[in-house]
Amino acid sequence: MTLRAVPFADDLPERPRVLLVDDDEVNLLLTSVALRDQGFDVTEASNGEKAIRVLADWLPDIVVLDAVMPGLDGFETCRELRVLPGFESLPVLMLTGLDDDASIARAYEAGATDFFVKSPQWSLLSGRLRYLLRASRTRVELERSKSRLARAQDLARMGSFDWRRGQGGPVFSIEGLRVFGFSPGDHPAFRTLLRMVPDEERSAFLELTHSAMERSTVLATDVHARLQDARQRIVHIEAEPEFNEHGNLIGYTGIVQDVTDRRLAEDRIRHLANFDTLTGLPNRRQLIWRAEKALEHGRRLGHQVALLLIDLDRFKVINDTLGHGAGDELLIEVSRRLRSCVRHSDQVLESSLESVGVRSHRTLEAVGRLGGDEFVALLPEVIDEADAERVAARILEVMRKPITIGMQECFVTASVGIAIFPRDGANVADLLRNSDIAMYAVKSAGRNSSSLYRPTLAGVGREKLELESALHKAIERNELVLHYQPKIDVRGAKMVGAEALMRWRRHGVLVAPGDFIPLAEETGLIIPLSEWAIREAARQARIWQDNFGFADSIAVNLPNRLFERTDLVEYIHNAVTTYGVPHHMIELEITETGLMKDLQNVIPSLHRLNEIGVEISIDDFGTGYSSLAYLTTLPISELKIDRSFVRDLGMTPQSSAVVTAIIALARSLGLRVIAEGVENLRQMEVLHRLGCGIMQGFLFSKPQAPEDIERWLQQTVLPKKAPWIGQASAGDVPEPPRATRGRDSRLTTPLG
Amino acid sequence: MGARARLDCPSVSDASVTILDADALQRLRDLDPKGKNHLLERVLAAFETSAVRLSRQLVEARRGNHMDGVRLVAHTLKSSSASIGALALSRLCAEIEAQVRTGALSGIDDRLDAMDRELRAVLQAVSPLLKPPQ
Repeated sequence: MTLRAVPFADDLPERPRVLLVDDDEVNLLLTSVALRDQGFDVTEASNGEKAIRVLADWLPDIVVLDAVMPGLDGFETCRELRVLPGFESLPVLMLTGLDDDASIARAYEAGATDFFVKSPQWSLLSGRLRYLLRASRTRVELERSKSRLARAQDLARMGSFDWRRGQGGPVFSIEGLRVFGFSPGDHPAFRTLLRMVPDEERSAFLELTHSAMERSTVLATDVHARLQDARQRIVHIEAEPEFNEHGNLIGYTGIVQDVTDRRLAEDRIRHLANFDTLTGLPNRRQLIWRAEKALEHGRRLGHQVALLLIDLDRFKVINDTLGHGAGDELLIEVSRRLRSCVRHSDQVLESSLESVGVRSHRTLEAVGRLGGDEFVALLPEVIDEADAERVAARILEVMRKPITIGMQECFVTASVGIAIFPRDGANVADLLRNSDIAMYAVKSAGRNSSSLYRPTLAGVGREKLELESALHKAIERNELVLHYQPKIDVRGAKMVGAEALMRWRRHGVLVAPGDFIPLAEETGLIIPLSEWAIREAARQARIWQDNFGFADSIAVNLPNRLFERTDLVEYIHNAVTTYGVPHHMIELEITETGLMKDLQNVIPSLHRLNEIGVEISIDDFGTGYSSLAYLTTLPISELKIDRSFVRDLGMTPQSSAVVTAIIALARSLGLRVIAEGVENLRQMEVLHRLGCGIMQGFLFSKPQAPEDIERWLQQTVLPKKAPWIGQASAGDVPEPPRATRGRDSRLTTPLG
Repeated sequence: MGARARLDCPSVSDASVTILDADALQRLRDLDPKGKNHLLERVLAAFETSAVRLSRQLVEARRGNHMDGVRLVAHTLKSSSASIGALALSRLCAEIEAQVRTGALSGIDDRLDAMDRELRAVLQAVSPLLKPPQ
């Protein structure tokens, strides 16, 4: 709708067009000359018939009619032109004689706008014409504005009404009638209107109107109305009192408006703002609002309030493996189950909350979704903590049944942290934080359980949470680095490979693997971390190859769960291809414990890796309980003697017995054997004597940055400056014969 | 009704001065101060034409004792004579019109005769104003 500026009523046409009708030629001539002189555009007609003919296809701004004319006189002419379309409100001035009162009355009857007594004072006539034109313009504008108002009211589904005391029901404008579904001309009685209001609202509405009238105040309210065609609408009523000159209320005047659509939109907005779109549960904002109300009631009535924080276990894994769509479906089902655990109310009637003494806060009870896989159950009144724990137990119980998504059955468990007001916090923020701490305690204790908050729990979970979220970002922030510890062939005094060890440079400080690898394993972050390590090792292999002809392999430690991934082979293939190094330059280490725990799932992967030339080393060998039967059939290339045996070498006879046995085993299976954790020459000598010639440990080099390894090779190994060089080769123990299975080139690769 | 005279020259006879009101004539002149439009001439010519016609209508109306016709003539002549300043004539017309309207017709014949006389005098007074100056 475009709103044009309304022209001012003064804004008359430059030369208003006048039709002048007079049978007296003298008067006609003089009047028209005088009017032209005053700026009018005059068309003359010497009688009524001619005037009507002229008007057939021309619309002047004003008509001046002589009243007394032969034939069609002024009155008849006026009557005739009034019925012409478009001439209903054309200003018509009737010219009469001074002494002719009867003509004046007849002029108005005939529909003339005004009369003018003939006078040779021409300026008087032109002044009157201008006045009439202005009045007419004002009236046209008024009509227009009235119809615009009607249209606007129509669009706004609004109408007006007046009500006069003692004169029956309110009188509505046409638009006002339309709001209630009445036709123009209807006069609905007050009783009829009242009957449209639903029973349960009627008395409250009546009370409101009566009290407004008693106090002569403004009436403003929304009321439901059931129209005659059975449509349910919401009507906004707003009315102001009107008073007589004595200051007594005589009635009301106001508007009625159909606000149904607006109210629905508002409800929708309110719903969007307060409820989670996926699950339909109250969202964080609504929950916090409810919790605050619940605490108010708790404070006032002196009871306890419980907040249960529910976090799904391993939801991320489900999301990652089944996709987000499945994840959403799962959340919806979980929401449904959680709702059934409490007396969930979707709506809270704020008005009812204010009534003191009633247990109205019960309506606050709900399960809401904080976001992601985090939910909160708000229990607005609990007798004791056992009360809350019972609800927690119910929650864990309803999760036990598998959830079917697509064709797949998922088992979802939850960890529940409980905080009780006022004991565990005086406000919502504290309660949320403490339930969070309790929930994390459950997670670390193995999940699928609930725990009450205890002050002793504070700190632990939070710290871990921070670490976890930082570790999440470590890869993209380039905070991870690999350090390398050389594998040494002591007889040849050369490096025959290296083990890659992950370090995390956090805030400029290196975090030891022991401080974040367990967390990474727990959270599943170990997967992306390991994948990064493989790529980084391949990249480093290429650099060393270019720098000093490195042709051995870099060993990367992988958790057993990574071996379960069917795309591991492909991943390694992509990594080495990216950097243009052969597959064998990546070697994988898996701990003996990890291997044995998940043997069936790991074996196929080991075979495939072996096929593409990636060798497998068993780390920490001797600490697990390897099935020797399996060991003979596994596609592995190397055993690493656990550092605990090496440490005790030469101190306890048992340790050398274990080492001897491992070496013998490796030899009979055709596997390489390597000792790690070698810290002194004595250990080196014993190992060498027992037949283990490849070692790793601080005696040779601690794990170092790749550039430092190169420097170490240049400055220590090549010039043979280290104390360990020469020791082994000087010994009289010959290198044991070695059955090779797979590639053996490393033993002969000279350092470049 | 073509241009025949410059009317601002003082060649107006005494008769016209007494029969035609000077102020009224001046008002007409004011409408066309420089005489460009020959307004006074045109108005007087229009009066002459209309008066001759009305005078004929009046004779017929009187002959047929047609009072409405009499009244219309009186009404029309009343305002047009006033316009050119023939105030005595206008006054007579008004009296006749009122008489006919109210039906108080006594002495109307005398008045009509007087009106006829006065009309002739007016036309005579108008005539020199219509002629071009010698």
